Amino acid sequence: MTETAFKHMRDLPSTHLLGTGTPACAGCGGLQAIHQIYDVLGKNTVFVNAAGCMTLLSVYPFTPFRGSWLYTAMASAPAGAQGIRDALDILIEQKRIDKNEDLQVVVLTGDGSAYGMGLSATSSAMERKLDFIYLCYDNEGYGNTGQQYSDATPHAAKTSTSTGPGGYPGFKKDLFSIWAAHKPAYVATVIGAESLDLARKIQKARDIEGPCMIISLSPCPTGWDFDPSLTAKVGKLAVRTGIWPLKEYENGNITHTRKPAKRLPVEAYLNLQGRFKHLFEPKRDEKMLADIQTQVDAYWAKVAS
Amino acid sequence: MSRKLLTGNGAAAWGARLAGIDYIPAFPITPQTEIIETLEHWIGGGQIPARLVTLESEHSMITAAGAAAATGVRVFSATSSQGLLYGMEMLYAVAGWRAPFVLVNVSRGLSAPITLEPDHNDVLAARDSGFLQLHCATCQEVLDSVLIAYRLGEDLRVRLPVIVNQDGFYLSFTREPVEIPDQQAIEAFLPPYDPENMQFRASAPVSQAVAVLGGGPYSYFRYETHLASLQALAVYDEVASEFEKASGRANPAIECYRTDDAEYLFVMMGAFATKARQAVNQLREAGWRIGLVRPRLFRPFPEEKLRRALAGKKGVIVIDQNISFGRGGVLHTELASAILGKSEKPPLLVSFIGGLGGRDISAEEFYEMARVTKEAVVDGKAPEPRLLYTETELREVRKLQGIACVERQALENEL
Amino acid sequence: MYRIRFHGRGGQGMKTASRLLGAAFFLEGFAVQDAPRYGAERRGAPIFAYVRAGKSPIFERGIILHPDLVIVADDSLVPVPAAGVMAGLTDRTVLLISTTETADEWRRRLHIHSAILTLPAPREVEDRLELRYVGAECAGAAACLTGHISKKKLERAILGELEGKPQKIIHRNIEMASEGYDRMADHKGLVQEGTLPSAKAYTPPAWIEMPFEAARISSPTIHAGLTSIKVRTGLWRTMRPVIDHRHCRKCWWVCSSSCPDGAISVNEEGAPGIDYDHCKGCLTCVSVCPSHAIKAIPEHQAAAAEEES
Repeated sequence: MTETAFKHMRDLPSTHLLGTGTPACAGCGGLQAIHQIYDVLGKNTVFVNAAGCMTLLSVYPFTPFRGSWLYTAMASAPAGAQGIRDALDILIEQKRIDKNEDLQVVVLTGDGSAYGMGLSATSSAMERKLDFIYLCYDNEGYGNTGQQYSDATPHAAKTSTSTGPGGYPGFKKDLFSIWAAHKPAYVATVIGAESLDLARKIQKARDIEGPCMIISLSPCPTGWDFDPSLTAKVGKLAVRTGIWPLKEYENGNITHTRKPAKRLPVEAYLNLQGRFKHLFEPKRDEKMLADIQTQVDAYWAKVAS
Repeated sequence: MSRKLLTGNGAAAWGARLAGIDYIPAFPITPQTEIIETLEHWIGGGQIPARLVTLESEHSMITAAGAAAATGVRVFSATSSQGLLYGMEMLYAVAGWRAPFVLVNVSRGLSAPITLEPDHNDVLAARDSGFLQLHCATCQEVLDSVLIAYRLGEDLRVRLPVIVNQDGFYLSFTREPVEIPDQQAIEAFLPPYDPENMQFRASAPVSQAVAVLGGGPYSYFRYETHLASLQALAVYDEVASEFEKASGRANPAIECYRTDDAEYLFVMMGAFATKARQAVNQLREAGWRIGLVRPRLFRPFPEEKLRRALAGKKGVIVIDQNISFGRGGVLHTELASAILGKSEKPPLLVSFIGGLGGRDISAEEFYEMARVTKEAVVDGKAPEPRLLYTETELREVRKLQGIACVERQALENEL
Repeated sequence: MYRIRFHGRGGQGMKTASRLLGAAFFLEGFAVQDAPRYGAERRGAPIFAYVRAGKSPIFERGIILHPDLVIVADDSLVPVPAAGVMAGLTDRTVLLISTTETADEWRRRLHIHSAILTLPAPREVEDRLELRYVGAECAGAAACLTGHISKKKLERAILGELEGKPQKIIHRNIEMASEGYDRMADHKGLVQEGTLPSAKAYTPPAWIEMPFEAARISSPTIHAGLTSIKVRTGLWRTMRPVIDHRHCRKCWWVCSSSCPDGAISVNEEGAPGIDYDHCKGCLTCVSVCPSHAIKAIPEHQAAAAEEES
C-alpha cells in the first residue's frame, strides 16, 4: 500500500484533466466529484457508463474525456467493465498488445442504477473479483428524468413522485453495507466538497487490485432545489451534520475518515434544500426533524461503541 | 478432417473452437447449456486458450460480449428463448456499437406458457436488432455456420454481430454425423480478428456508443447499420464460396432443393425443413412437380434470390414455425412483401403455422398442405392461414382442461 | 395559422409562457399546439418553446422553421447562434425582445427587415434568472400582438394554467402579463398568420442516396479526447464570477477543486483564472472562496463593459 500523495490541500492537482463544455447542470455535485476523481485516476482509463445524468457527458461528437468511454445500458455497466477488463487481460497475456496500452476500467453510474436496476450486475462483478473501480454519483433520485424517487432517496424528501405532505416514506438504502457484505477489495464514501478525503480514497482505489467501490453523494441543485452556488456548502453540511459519513471498508474493517467532533443539527443541512422545505414551512415538523436527527445520532452512537 | 457423431450443441462448440475464440461470456439456459459446458471443459483441460466467464444474466452476458468485441478480442456466446429476450435491450445496443461476435441461439418456445421445445419466435424477436441471422437445418450446418458467421460479421464492410440459430432438442440434443474441418484449413479461411479502429487502448482514446441528440445523426447511424447489413448479402456469397473451397460443403444463402422444374414450393426455415425435403421426394414419386426453398440467411433477407426462386411457380406453401399474434406467420409476411409489386405473375402464397413449441409436423401434413395449395391455385384465391392442429390434439387438451377444473359448462359449449 | 417561438434560458419560464399563450388562444376558440423543445435543457442554457394557433385544426408538428412571431425573454441570447433565435426569420416575422436596449439599437445591430419591438428589461435586476415573471410578460405581449386575445381570456388562461400555485404568484403573473399586453397596445394585431407551403410550386427536398460507409467511419464513436471544449457552456451564464487578484490568497485548491466544471485553472504563480468560455456561472467559487476575493457581477453588464473596452 503506497502512502497517500495527498497530505495537504495544496497537494491536490492544480491542472484538471476532464474537459469543460459538458451538458451537466451548473453547480452539479456529481461533476464536481468526477472531475476531481479523474484528476487522480488519470487519462489511462475507460469509463463504462450506465444510463443516468452522466450519459450526456459524451454526446456525439463531444467528449470531455482524455481517455476512453463506453456507454452500455442502465442495468449492465459492470458487465461491460468485465468484457473490457477480460479482453485487455487476454490481449496483454497473449502479448497481442503492449502492457503500456492497459487501461483502468471505471464504471460510472447514478444511484438509480447503482441502488436499483444495476445492483445484481454489480453484486455479481464483486463476486467475480473483477479488477475495476465502481463510481456511483448519488443524487438521491432519478435525476436525469426530473428527480423521481429512487432507492437512494432519503426519508421525507419531496421528489416528483413523492409530492405528498410527508415526502418519500421510505429510507435511503444502505448501499455501502450491501457492497461491504460482498467483501470487495475496497469500499468508500466520498463527496466533492471534501476534496482531500476524496483524493486519498481515489488514490487507494486506483492502487488496490480488485473491486473498488465508491459512492459519492452528489448535491444536486436541480433535483434538491437549492441555488447552484451552494453545492459545496450543502456537501460540507452533509458531512458536518453526520448525514453523509465519510468512511471506507478495507480488509474487513470499516474506518470513518471524518468523525465530526461536534455534529451540527441535521436541519442545518435540510433547510437549505427545497425538497425538505415542508419540514420547516408553513410550520416546523418537529416530529419528522426529531426522527431524522435520532437516526443520525443512532448511527454515530453505534460508530462510537 | 475427422467425422464424428455430434449434437447440435457439440457442433456449435466445435465451430467456436475452430474459430479460435478468445472469450466466452456465458449464462446457462436449457437447451443451450451444453455448448458452454463443452467449451469450459476444453478450457479447463487446457485444450483451448480461451477464457469463459459466467455472468449473472443474459443482459450482462451480451453486454460483456459486446464490450470485449469492442476491445478487440474474438467473442462467442450462446443462449436460448427467455435468455435471448432478457438480453434484448443489449442485442440492439451492441449491434449499434458495430461490435461483431457470434451468438448461437438454440430456439425454444417463449413464455407464457413457459415450455422447453422449439419454435422460432425467440430468434425472430431479434429480427430488427441489427444482428445478422443464419438458420440451420442440420448439426453439420451449425458447425459450418459458426465459422461462416465469424468471417461474415467481422468483414470490415459489415462489422455486425451474428446469430446462428438451431432448433432446441431437434438439433441441440440430437447427434448426427458431423465433419470437423482441420484447424489449418480453417486458419486459412478465417484470419485473426482485426476490427480496425474499434478498440480500447491507452494510446488511442475513443468514446464508443455515445449518445446523439436529434434525428439527423440518429438516422445516419441507424441507416448505416442497415446498409452494412445489406452489404452482408454479397459478402455472404463470397464467404460461403470460400468456405466451400476450404471444406467442400456448400452453404448457399438459400437452399433450393428440386426447385428447377417445380410448380409448387415449400418455404420454411430451421430443422423441420428436412422433413419438407423428404416430403418433396415422396410427393415427386406421387407425380408432383414440387421443391423446397429454405432461407439459411434470414437477416439480411435474401430478397432477390428468393424472388428468383419463386419466379414462375404456381403456388408456395409457406410454413411458419412462429406466430406474430394478430398477424400470423412472419416468413409469410416477409415473402409477400418481397414479391409484391416486384414480380410479374407472382405465385400464390398459402400460409401455414406449424411446429409451435416443438409440435411435430407429419409427412401427411406436408402432403395435405401441397394438396390445399394446388386447390387454391385452381380457385385463384389463397385460403385463410391454417394452424396445423388435429382433432386428437384438441381432445388431449380437453382432458388436461378437465383435470385443471376448467369451467365444465364452457368446455361443453366449446365441444 | 400563427407560428410563435419563445426563446429564453432554462429557469426563465419559457414552457409556462408558451402554455399561457396557448391556453389563451384556446379560450378564444382557436385550435392550438404548445410544446417545449426537449433536449438536454439546463438552468441557464438556451431553450425554446412553440405555440401554433389557427382557426382550423392544426396538422403541422414539431419545430417551427419560419415563425410569424419570435419572443426573446433574454436579449443576451439574440447574438448567440447556438440559441437559434434568428433561425428562419423572414421579413414578415415580428421580433420581440425583452431588453435594456432600444429597438433602434437592435435594428442597428441585426440588419434585418423584420419588425423589431422591445419590452424593457429591468436594469436593477442583476441575475436575469431571477426574472421569474418575464415569461408572463412575454406571453401577454404576444397575446396583444396577435390581436385575437382579450385581456379577460388571458387572465383566465393564467388562472387555469397556474391553478394550485400560491395566490401571490398567480396575481403577479396576471399583473405582468397585463403589463406586457398594454405595452403592445400600439401594435395590436401586428403579427400576421403565416401560410402553408404550396404543393403547386415548391422546392423539392435535396434527397440523396445515403452512401454506405464502413463501420470504421459510421459507428457512433468519437476518435479523440477532449472534444467537449468546443461547446461554449459559458453561454449559460447570467452572473459572472470575477477574481479580485488583490485579495486572492492563491489557495487555488479551494476554488479550482470546487468548480464542478473544472473551469478554474492555476497559473505558474499559483493564481487561479476562470475560463469564461465554459464557466456556467454556478458561482460555487464565489461561495467557497475563503478570502471573498471572487465577486459575482451581472453577465450582461460584464459583456457590455467588455464590448466597450
